Amino acid sequence: MIYVLIAILIILGFWLVSTYNFFVTTKTRVGASIQEIGNQLKRQSELIPNLESSAEGYLKHEKGIFDELTSARKAITSAVKSGDLNKMADAGKQLADVLPKIQVVVESNPEIKASEVVKTLMDELRDTSDKVMYARRLLIDLTADYNVKMVTFPSNLAAKIFRFEVLKGLETPTDGDGLKVSGEEMKTPKVNL
Amino acid sequence: MKNIYEVQTSNKIKSFVIVAIFVAFVFVATYFLTKALGYYMGYEPGGLGYLGLALIISGVSSFFSYYYSDKIVLGISGARPAIRTRDFNFFTVAENIAIGDGLPKPKLYVIDDTSPNAFATGRNPEHAAICVTTGLLSKLDRTELEGVVAHEMTHIKNYDTRLMSVVSVMVGLIALLGDWFTRSMFWGRRRDDREGNAGSIILVIGILFAILSPIIGTLIQLAISRRREYMADAGSVEITRQPQGLISALEKISSDPSPLRSANRATAHLFISNPFKNNKQKGTGFLTNLFNTHPPVSERIKLLQEMA
Repeated sequence: MIYVLIAILIILGFWLVSTYNFFVTTKTRVGASIQEIGNQLKRQSELIPNLESSAEGYLKHEKGIFDELTSARKAITSAVKSGDLNKMADAGKQLADVLPKIQVVVESNPEIKASEVVKTLMDELRDTSDKVMYARRLLIDLTADYNVKMVTFPSNLAAKIFRFEVLKGLETPTDGDGLKVSGEEMKTPKVNL
Repeated sequence: MKNIYEVQTSNKIKSFVIVAIFVAFVFVATYFLTKALGYYMGYEPGGLGYLGLALIISGVSSFFSYYYSDKIVLGISGARPAIRTRDFNFFTVAENIAIGDGLPKPKLYVIDDTSPNAFATGRNPEHAAICVTTGLLSKLDRTELEGVVAHEMTHIKNYDTRLMSVVSVMVGLIALLGDWFTRSMFWGRRRDDREGNAGSIILVIGILFAILSPIIGTLIQLAISRRREYMADAGSVEITRQPQGLISALEKISSDPSPLRSANRATAHLFISNPFKNNKQKGTGFLTNLFNTHPPVSERIKLLQEMA
């Protein structure tokens, strides 16, 4: 009888240790994934001026877009400096807004489209925004893993014992236009070429 | 309609059940084969015994192919390392998927072959390699390539090379024991039948296992391989969230008629889609499926569409 009790205690101990380790490991990885987002945004802000200067010659007459690109880059630099995750996300969005505009210019002008320099610019811009997106995906997935264990049985008991807290992950507003569909948006958009 | 998390849970359970059946089968088969072999030879060798000997032989040969899996396979396939400027999409997509998975970027290789295909190998994420053909790079766009690379990345994340190596050690072990037993019946001298009925029953069971278990073992091995493909498909969707990319990539890969020149039986299970294209004419027949390393593409696409 006493042996059975000891065996149960040992198994319980192992479970407690492994659950504790899961929480602290995932927490550390979440921290690292936030740094990775900053890292990718920094890469982006260093990459874009170089791409700009090499492509500028081809796109002289489209000065406005480059101004927008420059301000998007500045916003990213200051957001990374401040370390605020929300600001970083905003800055990334600014860049994403400029992208389609460049696409329009490139596609309406076959001479530019043919240019290898501009093709490289487009490829690199898509790649850098993909990288930021995947860095965020890692943060989202890790926080989801962590938070699922926080609320499911029996790991939620261990979480209570060690006083772990729910992680916020990528902060997104829980209300606002993003979560509503207006009557206008219900109509199928028409594309005019 | 199932969401990606439900698909993954059911995949994990099914995979566990198949592997458990496999382990149980290996246990029973080796037990009876060693028993029959011992009976036939007239003595049980001490120490390691027949089982230990077979395990060592099968294990050593498979250990090398497992430990050096990245180097061996790449050597056979004649692959060149990928370069960022030359294979921009492949290189950067792999970088990005590795970021999304939180894994180190695997080594990247390109095989010069017009048949579109891809595979992953390596004993752990630190020693992993992803290899694609030039045909794949020229036929797929970036989104489709993301689906394929994410599929391979999931194989790496799930340690599939390790699992399949262990499984092939076990299948090799059973085949070796069965082989020894049948040989000893041909060449060995049969000892006097002093133990009567019990002995002959063990012999009959031994013969049955010697004939059937290599086949059964291989069939379970293939079932495991197919299950891991489904898991990799689901994992690909988990990272990219774009089932459409992998769906159209699979359609393009399966509709391409040319078989891969550098593939052979030993490496077939590694590829994203069966490199021999022998599932073309028969479709999804039960028997054809039973002997395939990969599930039929139509079935995989159907499951992916449910996740979309």
